[in-house]
Amino acid sequence: MSLRNTEHHWGSVAKFFHWIVALGIIVNGFWGLLMTGMSPSMSKINVYALHKSIGLTVLALFFLRLAWRMFDRPPRDEPAPRWQQIAAHITHMLLYGFVLAMPLTGWWYNSLHGYPLQWFKLFNLPALAGKNDDLARTAHAVHEYLFYLLLLVLVGHIGAALKHHVFDQDNVLRRMLPFGRVRHGKTSPGELP
Amino acid sequence: MTLRNHYRSLTLLFALALPCMASAADYAVQPSGSTLGFTSSFQGSSFDGQFSKWTAAISYDQAKLAASKFDVTVDLSSAKTGDSDRDSALPGADFFDTAKYPQAHFVTTGFRQQGSQVIADGNLTLRGVTKPVSLNVTFKPQGSGATLDVSGTVNRLDFGVGGGQYKDTTVIAAAVKVTAHLVLTAK
Repeated sequence: MSLRNTEHHWGSVAKFFHWIVALGIIVNGFWGLLMTGMSPSMSKINVYALHKSIGLTVLALFFLRLAWRMFDRPPRDEPAPRWQQIAAHITHMLLYGFVLAMPLTGWWYNSLHGYPLQWFKLFNLPALAGKNDDLARTAHAVHEYLFYLLLLVLVGHIGAALKHHVFDQDNVLRRMLPFGRVRHGKTSPGELP
Repeated sequence: MTLRNHYRSLTLLFALALPCMASAADYAVQPSGSTLGFTSSFQGSSFDGQFSKWTAAISYDQAKLAASKFDVTVDLSSAKTGDSDRDSALPGADFFDTAKYPQAHFVTTGFRQQGSQVIADGNLTLRGVTKPVSLNVTFKPQGSGATLDVSGTVNRLDFGVGGGQYKDTTVIAAAVKVTAHLVLTAK
């Protein structure tokens, strides 16, 4: 398995970014939904601190991933109807947008509320905006509803991957799996470059 | 004992000076312009707090430090730090526990000169614990009154403020800097 992408296979760097960010989204998303109901305690402070640290990590990974994606040419699209290929690309762009927007709106909300922002207790990051309690409520709602929208798009993304894997039995999912081997004879050049 | 000798010479000094010094000058604190605040840090970011309710009996004369005295009582439930979460946590049992200990009290036990800096030594009673605390004193006479600035550092854990689950100093710093600015008028 090469670090870089091949014509039909994602490289290990792209896979690493994909799955680590996926883990970050799942953990932080559900963690984030549950933590707001906690009663004030040191545990709540620590849970929030971890949520912010993971979110900032995802943000940093987003930029690294984007840089890698620009440097490393993605594999060709797997054979599928053109509308599916276009839908997949739109979904991927939306997901990139969400992965960027989720940490940024969290950071924005955190700033408006006047909370400190620390990355794993190692260093602090500046506020994106001054304290504003009214706007903070709006920012919190944006942060939360954006996650529901992300979930919706994610259902499409995962659903499509599983559909290709289970029903079409092609390489769409396999070529992104950490140790996945592509099924030979299933891949031919896609219609989109 | 040097301390006893010290007291003896002080007593002698008092006796000699008695006709001209009954005590240091007494001052009244002007509420407007006077502040009592504290600074600490949470998650690597410093925050400031203020007490809005406190009283201080100030008797001070730079030349008669032995006769000078500060006696300060602070209403702990009056602490505000500009954050609603923190301000609702502060009076609770984990922090000031104002239901059991509504007030903090500081009274000087003596003053000393360290170079050009005057230091007030005293006892702070907070949350049922009494410990010695020293404050730097800057006193500036102004007309018949004066301004008095004091600052010192206390370790919150010495007094059990934020003990228990909140004692992790990597999240909430142990050191709390206390500062006060008093506008004084002669009594």
